[in-house]
Parts: sequence; structure tokens; C-alpha cells
Amino acid sequence: MNIKFNIQNSIFKIAIFLIFEFLILNFEFAAPAAAMLTAKANHDHITIDFFYHGSTVSVRGISDPGTDLVIKITSPEGHQLLKKKGKVGGMLWMNVGQLKFENTPNFYEIFSTKKIEDILSTEEMDKNVIGFPALAKHVEITPVANEEEKAKWFDEFVKFKEDSKVYTSSSGNITFSKNAEGKQEYYILTEWPYQAQPGDYLVTVYAVKDHKVVEQATSNVNVAQIGMVKSLAGMAKDTPAVYGFLSIGVALSAGFGVSMVFRKGGGSH
Amino acid sequence: MYLYLPVALTSINILIPVGLGLAVGLLSGLFGVGGGFLLTPLLIMFGIPSTVAAATDSNQIVAASTSGTYAHWKVGNVDFKMGLYLLVGGFVGGILGVQLIKLLHAMGNADFVIKITYILMLGIVGVYMFIESLQSMRKKKNNVEEAKEEKESAVGRFLKSLPLQTHFEKSGITHSVFVPIVLGAFVGILAAIMGVGGGFLMVPIMVYMLRMPMHVVVGTSLFQILFTCIEVTFLQAYTNHSVDFILAVLLLLGSTVGAQIGASFGKKLKAEQLKILLATIVLAVTVKIVFEITLTPSLLLSQVGGH
Repeated sequence: MNIKFNIQNSIFKIAIFLIFEFLILNFEFAAPAAAMLTAKANHDHITIDFFYHGSTVSVRGISDPGTDLVIKITSPEGHQLLKKKGKVGGMLWMNVGQLKFENTPNFYEIFSTKKIEDILSTEEMDKNVIGFPALAKHVEITPVANEEEKAKWFDEFVKFKEDSKVYTSSSGNITFSKNAEGKQEYYILTEWPYQAQPGDYLVTVYAVKDHKVVEQATSNVNVAQIGMVKSLAGMAKDTPAVYGFLSIGVALSAGFGVSMVFRKGGGSH
Repeated sequence: MYLYLPVALTSINILIPVGLGLAVGLLSGLFGVGGGFLLTPLLIMFGIPSTVAAATDSNQIVAASTSGTYAHWKVGNVDFKMGLYLLVGGFVGGILGVQLIKLLHAMGNADFVIKITYILMLGIVGVYMFIESLQSMRKKKNNVEEAKEEKESAVGRFLKSLPLQTHFEKSGITHSVFVPIVLGAFVGILAAIMGVGGGFLMVPIMVYMLRMPMHVVVGTSLFQILFTCIEVTFLQAYTNHSVDFILAVLLLLGSTVGAQIGASFGKKLKAEQLKILLATIVLAVTVKIVFEITLTPSLLLSQVGGH
């Protein structure tokens, strides 16, 4: 009885061990990319001083060789109010009202190893708001009469943002190399436009396999005004009366100052 | 070399605003106009948000018109008395114009009215000045002067019948105080609707309706523009936070010098030559606006604020 119990107990222990081992091995083999993807924006704090004319941001990290990558850089979502132009009387282009674009980031950049339509399913793109077609579904535009009109104004919205250099989507610009430990390292260097406003930006790197996002990693980029630029911008908002008087005072002084210079130089006589 | 603009939130090559300022300052000193109708669209073209472009333009006009007024005052070409009456009228007109534009916005057709007003006013003023200057140049050649007197007597009789007649020594004319006040108010209303200083409207009104000598017109117009733009700059900075101090400094570096050169150069030109040049510029801007509203724009969306 006692021996039988011991044998049963040992079988039970072995069974438990085997189940755990199976689960661990299964987990390791089934998701080899898990905990592999990393992301780091090297230039994560961009400062704006008087001589700022944009910057560069590089994103690098470790990725699984068997996956494609999509890198998305966005600002927080909000709403934007824009004037729309339309034809009046069938011939004159005028501003004919305003459109409100909700759930839209001010800044939206997508970089990928291949064309995103070729490596991601529509459902995955929509779920992660990757690419302009997915963003189009995510955005709410008011007032529009129907879906066709919404699509037309979203296209115009992207054109407007691309013109300001704050929306872009491109592929084939991520490079790969092996690091000292033999792991695959990805790297991209992007131009950071001076039109991108101060604030916090989120960098999300998606590892993609079989048209699905299998892993993601994030990093941050902060853009902030410093020194006199920050002081003047703050003054314009916080003490507008002082700022107004200062602007007028400087303009009057400059006008008189130049007049005096010309008078001495004999320019006005 | 690029400089970052803290309110416009963009970076610009400093040669652009300094160069634009110089060109517009030259026109300002030469013709007595602020140049907002030229500079604001140019700044927008170079990536400055429309609200910031319009507000900052007012700020730099303060500098250019100070420089220009001083240069004209030194040679005795500013009629302060007339300028003050026009200012009173312009102030009242500005208040009325702002209320009118609010009403138009509420009715939803503000942009249409603004654009049509722009084209009509610029077109009428440009064509009239151009033809009149051409005619007077020909008449001077033929030494025929009587036509001017005939024209004056028609409008003159009515104006002389108005009460509170006063003499404007610097301009050498006599008018009822109501004439400059009403005309100033008229320009003030239009300027508020169009979102401009109104110099290009004020100059022809002073020349053709008040019959002031062209060189006094330029100095007096600048004097009046100076005060209008001080008021506009303060209101824009206070209510809209849209004056970019750095951009204004870059613009005024050019415009103050340009205004001095313009004022100096203007003395060498005859009144008819000045008028015909201004008329040409006004007509060129009219044609540009006509093209702008008839050709399909590359972008159908724009930022809220400005025109």
C-alpha cells in the first residue's frame, strides 16, 4: 500500500514536471521574438534655441531576423480645426467653412522594412493605426455628408500635413547589422522637421510576422524650447500686455534709431 | 543663416524677412502705404502661419512708418492736423468694421465679401489712379490746367457747404472737419473687413477727395498708419498672442532702412510718376488675387485665422 502510494506519488511528480517543461519549451519555441525587440531613440531630447532648424532622430534596437519592422512616430492625438476651400458660384475658390478633424495626431511618421500593405493585414493596420488608410478610419471629420466626402477631405488633410512636413510614410529605409553578441540590430536615421511643434512624441516599433504584429517596443522623443525662445514664447502667452508693449516699443525705437542714423548720414536731406 | 521664430513655431532664413522688409519699407517710404496687402501673403508663402503673418506685419509697419514719418516730417511733408482727423474717423470706422465682420462671419459668407471687397477696391483704386495719372501727365505736357479746376468745383461746392470748415495749412486746403472724419471712417470700415491697414485706400482718398498735394499725402498717410498699427499690434498681441517678436525685428531691420531710402527716392519723383507706380502695384496685386481665386489651389485646407 505504502509502496503503491510512493510509486503513484513519483508518477504524479514526473507528470507535473513534464507538463511544466512542455509549457516552458512550447512558450519558448512558439514565440521566439518575445522579449527580443528593443527600441531606443538616440536623440530623445531635442532642444529648440534661436538657431534651431530641425534635427535628426535615430531609432535603433534588437529585432528578430525572422520579422519585418514598422516604426511609427506620433504626437498625442487631439482635434484640429482647418478652413476648407470650395467653389462659390461654380468658378471662384473661397474658404467655405471649417472642418474639425478629431483623433488626429499633429505629427505622424511611418517607416517600414517593406510596404506596409505587403507585410500587415488590414485588420492589424487598423488595430494599431498603422498607415494613412488606417488613420483615415480612425479619424472623425465633421461636418461631412457621407463616407465619400470624408475620404476626400482626409486625403486633403494628409496633403496639407505632408506639405508642412509633419506627415510621411515610406518603406525600405531601415537598415540591419549584427551586433557584438551576434544579434540582429536595426537602425534608422530620420530628419526631424523644424515644423514639428514642441511636445512629447511616441516612437513605437512593431515586429511583424505572417501579416500580424507579434511584438512591439516603445521609446520617447521630447522636443522643448529653451532659453530666450522659451522666455519669449511664454511671455507672449502669459503676459500678453507686456509683450505687446515691448513689441511696439522696440518697433518705435528701431524706426527712430534708423531715422537718426540716416539723418546723421544725410540720407533724408 | 536660419533663426527660429518662437511664436510662429517655425524656422526661417534671415535673408527672407530682411529682404522682404527692405522691399516693403521702400514702397512704404515711397508711396505712404503700410504694405500689409503685399507682405502678409508673402510671409504666408514662406511658411508663416496666417494669423502670425498678419499680426507681425502690423508690428513691423510700426517701425517702418515711424522711420518714414520721421523722414517726411523732416522735410515738412506731414499734415498732423489732417492726420489726427483721419485717425479719429479711422478709429470709429475700425470699431464699426469689426462688428460688421462679426455679422458676416455669423452669416457664413465673410470670406466671399472680403475677397470681393478686396478685388473691387483694389481694382477701382488702381484703374482710377492709373488713368488719372496718365491723363495729368499728358495735360502737363500740353500745359492744359483748366480741367482740374472744373472737377474740383463739382464736388467742391458740396464740401464747402458743410459746417465746421477749417484750414489745413500744411496741405493748403480748407475742408469741414467732418470730411476727413467720414472718409477716415470709410477706410477704417474697409480696412477692418479686409484685415489690412488701409494705406492703399487712404492715399487715393487724400489725393482725389481731399485734394492734398501728393508729397504731403505720403507723409500724412504714414503718420496715420503708424497709430493704426500700434493699436492693431497691441490688440493682436493681447487677444490672439500672434505677434512674433523675432520675425518683427527681422522685418523691421529691412523695412526701416527701406522706408528711409523710399522717402529719399520719392523726392526725386514727380507726383504723377509716384501715382502711376502705386497704381501699377495695386493693379498687379488685384490680378494676383483674381488668379488666386479662379485657379484651383494646390491645397484645399488651411489654418484657421487670416485670409
